[in-house]
Amino acid sequence: MTVLVRHLYLRMMRRSRVIWLTALASVSGLVFWLVGFDSEAAELPELYTDIVASVGYSFAIAALILASATLREERDGGTLPYIYMRPMPRIVLAVSAMVAGAAAAITVAIGGWLATVVATLAVGADLSVALPGLALFLSAAIGYAAIFVPLGYLVPRSLLVGLGYIIVIETILANAVTGLAQFSIWRISMSIYAAIEDNFGEIATEVLGPVTAGVGGGVAKLAAALAVGLAALTWALKKRDAL
Amino acid sequence: MTDTIVVTELSKWFGLKVAVSEVTIGFRPGVTGLLGPNGAGKTTLLRVIAGLQRPSQGEISLLGVDPRKDPSVYRRVSLVPEDEAIYERMTARKFVELAARLAKVDDVADRVQRALVMVDLVDPSDRILGGFSKGMRQRAKVAAALVTDPEVLLLDEPLNGADPVQRAQLIKLFMELGAAGRTVIVSSHVLVEVERMTDRVVAMVDGRLAAVGDVKTIRSAMTDKPRLVYIETPEARRLAAALIGADGVIGVHLDGEQVRVEASDAGELAMRLPEVAVEAGITLSRVEPVDESLESVFRYLVEGR
Repeated sequence: MTVLVRHLYLRMMRRSRVIWLTALASVSGLVFWLVGFDSEAAELPELYTDIVASVGYSFAIAALILASATLREERDGGTLPYIYMRPMPRIVLAVSAMVAGAAAAITVAIGGWLATVVATLAVGADLSVALPGLALFLSAAIGYAAIFVPLGYLVPRSLLVGLGYIIVIETILANAVTGLAQFSIWRISMSIYAAIEDNFGEIATEVLGPVTAGVGGGVAKLAAALAVGLAALTWALKKRDAL
Repeated sequence: MTDTIVVTELSKWFGLKVAVSEVTIGFRPGVTGLLGPNGAGKTTLLRVIAGLQRPSQGEISLLGVDPRKDPSVYRRVSLVPEDEAIYERMTARKFVELAARLAKVDDVADRVQRALVMVDLVDPSDRILGGFSKGMRQRAKVAAALVTDPEVLLLDEPLNGADPVQRAQLIKLFMELGAAGRTVIVSSHVLVEVERMTDRVVAMVDGRLAAVGDVKTIRSAMTDKPRLVYIETPEARRLAAALIGADGVIGVHLDGEQVRVEASDAGELAMRLPEVAVEAGITLSRVEPVDESLESVFRYLVEGR
């Protein structure tokens, strides 16, 4: 499994792609740096949560691009037979793809979070302001991998479909339909973030919406998303054409 | 000899397009040529056998199991896909090594080296595949397939892009593997290449099996197609006259110093011709059957559809 995870991860992590996706994940850090200069020190923690909750959402697009590419690139590139025709149970193939997709998203998430750390130090805020943000990005990376890795394998235009999911379901419908918010990966990640960050701003609270803050609940929902994603991918690898 | 691959009533369709239709066939150890014009369904058949695509109908047994249900069979099976697709940024050695590691073979370094030697790709093995010619890529793909020492080797147009020397080497390699008891299926639309490798062929036309067997048997079964034999002699006109009405002779055509004979039975003609020549006192310079080749047989099969 390690060989396959490593192969899939390295294939995704092309230098140019990593650079611009890390830049995309760094948007909240950049905005915090620009706005933070004109703010009082006491306002910075709240300001940070508001910015991360709203602008940090750009990370979802970076995660989509990476996670959906995990098996889609192999499939579109015609190289899938080289990994598909291997003596391993399909669930191992699915787990490997999921781990590789999540690892790639986590790498970019950490890159983006480091940018916020730099911004935090630049505006003179305490490092503890940025630290809980890492939990948000890591949770989101895992959650989005659970959705976008299977999507990338199953759907030829997965980027478009994934963008549709992010914009229509997570941004518009989840705001309008209370029940849907519980299934929004970004809000689930925000609920974990909210549980460990005391200074939650007004915008961040609004983004969280009806989802209750809590590490246990958030982690359980992410685990459920992973289980469903894994089951879907395993089923697809077994039952659908691989080419 | 037991069939290592059994295809039963297999059909595969994509929407309204039927790629493979009701194919039932068995493949046994040795080299088998899978022939057909472009779009005949060869690639789809190989992909379904390999488990990459599921049958729309019918069953596959690959070394006794359905590969889609039991992927452990991939330890004993390799495919060289037709697509040029390859990991462009990987070196040939790393590519072959990846195949070995994913298949969990023992002694990876040694096996990789042996596979590279088999396809004569040792020297450029540390160069990236993106810089390889088409023929070199093909050889790298073959090396990746051979590194697991498979019992069944599925080769989809493996000689595409290879130069004549490389082709000769690969053909020799496939023949050796076949002789060693491996089941080697080589799909190709270049009949001369297949003819050099084997006389056991499976011909597909429009997704259906057109013929199975060795070339001579298939040709013999085509009783509706007369055998064409060119006979060269300085006395072509006299020979033509002597052959008209002879047993088994359907038609005689004169073409300069050549007589083109259409016979219903080549064996009978072979027996009768010397007698006719002796009786008429005619010297024959050359006798050549012209439609016994795989190419001719295949042309008939395609035309017949």
